[in-house]
Amino acid sequence: MALPKRIIKETERLVADPAPGITAVPHDDNLRYFDVKINGPGGSPFEKGVFKLELFLPEEYPMAPPKVRFLTKIYHPNIDKLGRICLDILKDKWSPALQIRTVLLSIQALLSAPNPDDPLATDVAKHYKENEADAQRVSREWTEQYASDP
Amino acid sequence: MNSGAAGAEEPQTSFFADSDEDVAMQDVKDSEQAEPLQEPTITSSRPSTPTAPKQERRLFFEDSDDDNIPRPVPPTPQKNDISAEAAVIGSDSDVEIPSLEYEPGPASSGASSVPSSRASSPLPADMLNDDPSNKKRRRSPSKPKEPGAAFESAYIGTFLVGNAWSTVRGKGYIKAGDPILVERDSPDDGKPSFKNVTKVKTTQSTDKGKKKQMTLSSMLKPQPQNLHKKKADTVVRLTNARGFEFARLPTDIATWVSKLLDLGIVDFKGSTMVDCPETLRSGADLIVSLSVYIRHTAFKAANISPNDSPRNFFNQAQETIEEQTLRERKAALLALFDAVSLNPRRGAQAGASTTAIPEDAPKDTKASSKKIKKEVVGDGEEIEVEEGDELSDGQLDLIYKKAQRNDKTMAEMEPVDTFELTLRGYQKQALLWMNSMENGESSAREAVSMHPLWSEYSFPAEPIEGVIDLTQDENPFYFNPYSGELSLTFPKAEQKLKGGILADGKLGMGKTIMLSALIHTNKTPEPSIPDDELPARKKQIRLDRAFRPKNEGDHKDVRGPSATLIVAPTSLLTQWQEELERSSKPGSVSVTVWHGQNRLDLAGFDSKDEEETTLPIVITSYGVLASEHSKLQRAGGSSPIYQIEWLRVVLDEAHHCKSRTSKTARAVYEIRARRRWAVTGTPIVNKLEDLQSLLKYLTYSPWSSYSHFRSFITVPFLARDPKAIEVVQVILESVLLRREKNMRDSDGKRIVELPGKEVTIETLQFSNSERMIYDSIYGHAKQDYERLYAKGLVGKNYTHILAMLMKLRRAVLHPHLVVDPDEPDEKDSKNGVIDVDEIMEGVADSSSSGNAFAADVLANLKNAEEEGECPICLDIMESPTIIPSCMHRCCKDCILSYLASSAEKNEPTRCPTCLQGPIREQDLIEVIRTKNEAGEGDETSNADGPSKAPEVVLRRNDFRSSTKLEALMQNLRRIQDQDPHFRAVVFSQFTSFLSFISVALERERLTWYRFDGSMDVRKRSAAIAEFKKPERKPKVLIVSLKAGGVGLNLTTANHVFMMDCWWNSAVESQAIDRVHRIGQEKTVYVKHFIIDHTIEGRILQIQKRKTAIIKEAFRGSGGKTDSDTLENLKLMFGDD
Repeated sequence: MALPKRIIKETERLVADPAPGITAVPHDDNLRYFDVKINGPGGSPFEKGVFKLELFLPEEYPMAPPKVRFLTKIYHPNIDKLGRICLDILKDKWSPALQIRTVLLSIQALLSAPNPDDPLATDVAKHYKENEADAQRVSREWTEQYASDP
Repeated sequence: MNSGAAGAEEPQTSFFADSDEDVAMQDVKDSEQAEPLQEPTITSSRPSTPTAPKQERRLFFEDSDDDNIPRPVPPTPQKNDISAEAAVIGSDSDVEIPSLEYEPGPASSGASSVPSSRASSPLPADMLNDDPSNKKRRRSPSKPKEPGAAFESAYIGTFLVGNAWSTVRGKGYIKAGDPILVERDSPDDGKPSFKNVTKVKTTQSTDKGKKKQMTLSSMLKPQPQNLHKKKADTVVRLTNARGFEFARLPTDIATWVSKLLDLGIVDFKGSTMVDCPETLRSGADLIVSLSVYIRHTAFKAANISPNDSPRNFFNQAQETIEEQTLRERKAALLALFDAVSLNPRRGAQAGASTTAIPEDAPKDTKASSKKIKKEVVGDGEEIEVEEGDELSDGQLDLIYKKAQRNDKTMAEMEPVDTFELTLRGYQKQALLWMNSMENGESSAREAVSMHPLWSEYSFPAEPIEGVIDLTQDENPFYFNPYSGELSLTFPKAEQKLKGGILADGKLGMGKTIMLSALIHTNKTPEPSIPDDELPARKKQIRLDRAFRPKNEGDHKDVRGPSATLIVAPTSLLTQWQEELERSSKPGSVSVTVWHGQNRLDLAGFDSKDEEETTLPIVITSYGVLASEHSKLQRAGGSSPIYQIEWLRVVLDEAHHCKSRTSKTARAVYEIRARRRWAVTGTPIVNKLEDLQSLLKYLTYSPWSSYSHFRSFITVPFLARDPKAIEVVQVILESVLLRREKNMRDSDGKRIVELPGKEVTIETLQFSNSERMIYDSIYGHAKQDYERLYAKGLVGKNYTHILAMLMKLRRAVLHPHLVVDPDEPDEKDSKNGVIDVDEIMEGVADSSSSGNAFAADVLANLKNAEEEGECPICLDIMESPTIIPSCMHRCCKDCILSYLASSAEKNEPTRCPTCLQGPIREQDLIEVIRTKNEAGEGDETSNADGPSKAPEVVLRRNDFRSSTKLEALMQNLRRIQDQDPHFRAVVFSQFTSFLSFISVALERERLTWYRFDGSMDVRKRSAAIAEFKKPERKPKVLIVSLKAGGVGLNLTTANHVFMMDCWWNSAVESQAIDRVHRIGQEKTVYVKHFIIDHTIEGRILQIQKRKTAIIKEAFRGSGGKTDSDTLENLKLMFGDD
């Protein structure tokens, strides 16, 4: 099936005008499948880490949200150990007015501002709630261990 | 034709006829008894007493003579003859014959036999017509001829008989090269039933001698049982110059030769012996050459009346016998023509009895044999189920072929100068043809048409000199293979009518124009003639007269009628008027449309000032005519239209009165007119009898008589007799002009050059909701159908199923055609156009903070040259749509599909940009921007505001579109981009869908006009006129397929959209031809919209199938739903 014009447009724009700290490259054999790298935002426990994600645009896109998952292990209350992300715009707050870029920016923002009140990884969330500094330390360790760019 | 004469003779003849059958057996028995010989003579002496027995007996003898007694028998008597040499031997019966003939008086011989037929008979009535020449015929060769009328007899050919057989033995009778004579014993022997009794006797007596011997000698007893079956005596004797019989013709030839001789049709003169043994043996084969001459009397008789042969006098008034005579005469003549290889030059084919098809015979014969197996394009599938007798297209082509044969070479005629348009070549030809048809000239087509039942032969050159023969080479004579009649005068197809059928092509050939040219050109009024010269109309006139003082025309009108009446379907009345006026110099015609409630009084219409050069023309409709006619039928009723005698009547789309019993047809027959024209592309709609009605209207005798038509055409046609088609061809050749669009003129150019036509089928996909609705309806329908099918009730519930199909076809167009909209469409009178202020209020209410933004948006709408990017498709917004609560914008399609997908997932519908919600589809506001071309677009009537700035209109999205509608709109937009002043015609069969289309067009701010059957004539013509008016803006005409499928001329448009498909593709192409016809200068683009995976695909299949199925030529008139139809239904509900 032909790729919708919108996806082509988005891809072009991601390449031509990438968001800072974010790259998204579609696979050659499947233009709906993107390899994504997000730099950990400065000032966050994930700083200096480079996180790999996969992003897939389903058939209904943009009427349905893209599917995004962390491939790099990350210690974050809204991201579980399978890399799944708890983010409203990827679920019920999705709007076709959103795009790949906005989604990834939102994820980047999520790294800066974890929201333990709406957890996905409950143990991490608990850790963050009870002892945020210690939790951030673990996050930094994980970042160093798993997300350091080779 | 014989019936009249036969009737006259009835009293005398009747009892003979009876005798034939009944008495036969008795006689046979009698005759078996020893002395049959005597009896005949006895009975015959009293003619008034039952003579029948005698006849039969004679039959018996003859039979025995011919068949039962083989060759050896005759010789017996002849031996005697031989010995007597040429002398007349009184005792020998054989010789008696000649002697009788030479003697004028009653035969003297022992036979009590009274007067032989040749002598003046004792039965005066019978003999009256038996003129001298008739007598002579028996031995004509030996007698000097009395000068006949033009000629005594004409050479018709020579044929060889290779197996004449000798009846004598010995030398000196004949040698090769000797002249021979051909004789019959007596003409009367041939046909007992017709024969003059007395004759019979005489001959019999002579014969009897012979027979007696024969029977006595051996054969008497053997075969009595055959007797009554046996044919009449067919012995044909060959005698030498001295009158001495030496041989006979073989039976197969003798059968018809004897007939011809008996009937006085032919003479054999100058016949010679070609080869024979020097010494004859009985039974030896002889080769003789027989030269045949047709006697003048044969022609005469045929022409005069039924009494074409003397035998008719005795004819028993029984049709059967009379017919039998004719049949035999016919068969004998055909056999003769065959034997001498005389082939008709043209005309009706002799048919089955001719053994070989003449090489130079018209190709029609061959063609007609082909015709039987032609495909039937089934028609009338739906409601219009027609019963049997239908003609296939192939047959129709065949029928028309002959009428078209000479047409390309026809001469042309220029119209007079009051006719303003320039005619094309073929139109000029038509003008000449029509003009000459009206003036009774026959020059238009090469030759006058021959009466369809006749064929033309020509007398062959006479090879032998010295024979009285007034005929010249190539002198034609005519033969009617149906009746056996012969004629020397050309049997013209009776053509008293003035007028004919103009059946040009299907559409768009300019029939109106051609008739207009005719009206102008042939305008000289005919002198008035007394009414009684119009016998057909007489009754009508009398009726009129009875109730009104006098027809004004009668006394005043010395010039005779001058007005033309045009009868057309209601939808075409104004078109006729326009075309007539357009083609005429101003003031040269006065056109009156006589229709509607306030019909003018036509009285005195035709008695206008004599000096006036204006041609009066009245146009009316079939409906009006029928109602006027019914007025007339009432006692004392009258109608102006029937009082006037018209110079000319023209029926447009004349197939409207194809059914001769319909009110319309009867009304049409009653019109009084000098010249009658029927204009129709389909003179034969699907039955030959359709044509009969037209011929009746044209008063084209004899075919105007239904029974005549039926017996000569319909019945033979149903019996698959190819002659029927030929007859129709000839009829058409004489009254009908038909050219097809793709015919070529004498230079090989197409007679009509039309620009190209591009037909495309655009296959569309349903939206989800449409698909759901359609599928559920289809599911129900299919269930119903399968239930009925299982019970075998499909045929009975045909209409129910049709209704379901109809529903499905509507569902394809627009869901609202089958499902009530969820909420009533509160239709703004302004078609959804709303005020900016209104929106501002709404925005202010919901979020005051957004007020500024909203104002900004609205301000930008007016100014922005381009729309922004749609947040959903990231493209430039197409038909931007505002979400009123937040003033965010999207493409219409994008937001609609988002709303739909949200609804499907049971998610709240929200603005994609700000997630405000919920949003209702019908609340969305469309922004319509009309493009004004800076340079020229200043007179756009739509422009409410300042004309230079692009205008922006906001419109509420309260209109539910459909896939097809959207496709149409998209196409129109695209066309408009290329051609800002385009003209398009949109067809649909559903007027309810037309309404949807009109709303959609309105929303597109396109100018549209509507034409459907519910509108009255004035509105319809106004719509067409407006549509045609040249203006610098796009226009769309939406037309109901049924109302607008015929007659309209819409060549101003060159885009056609077919919104739905009809069972029969012919109807569609007819509609398309409204646009693709003469006068069209551009390529015509036709687009069919088809929704994928719906019933429409199957309808297309049926359309194709119809033309592909080859069927028997004639369908029986069985049930209303034939197998084909059921088959189609199956297809409808079959699984893909």
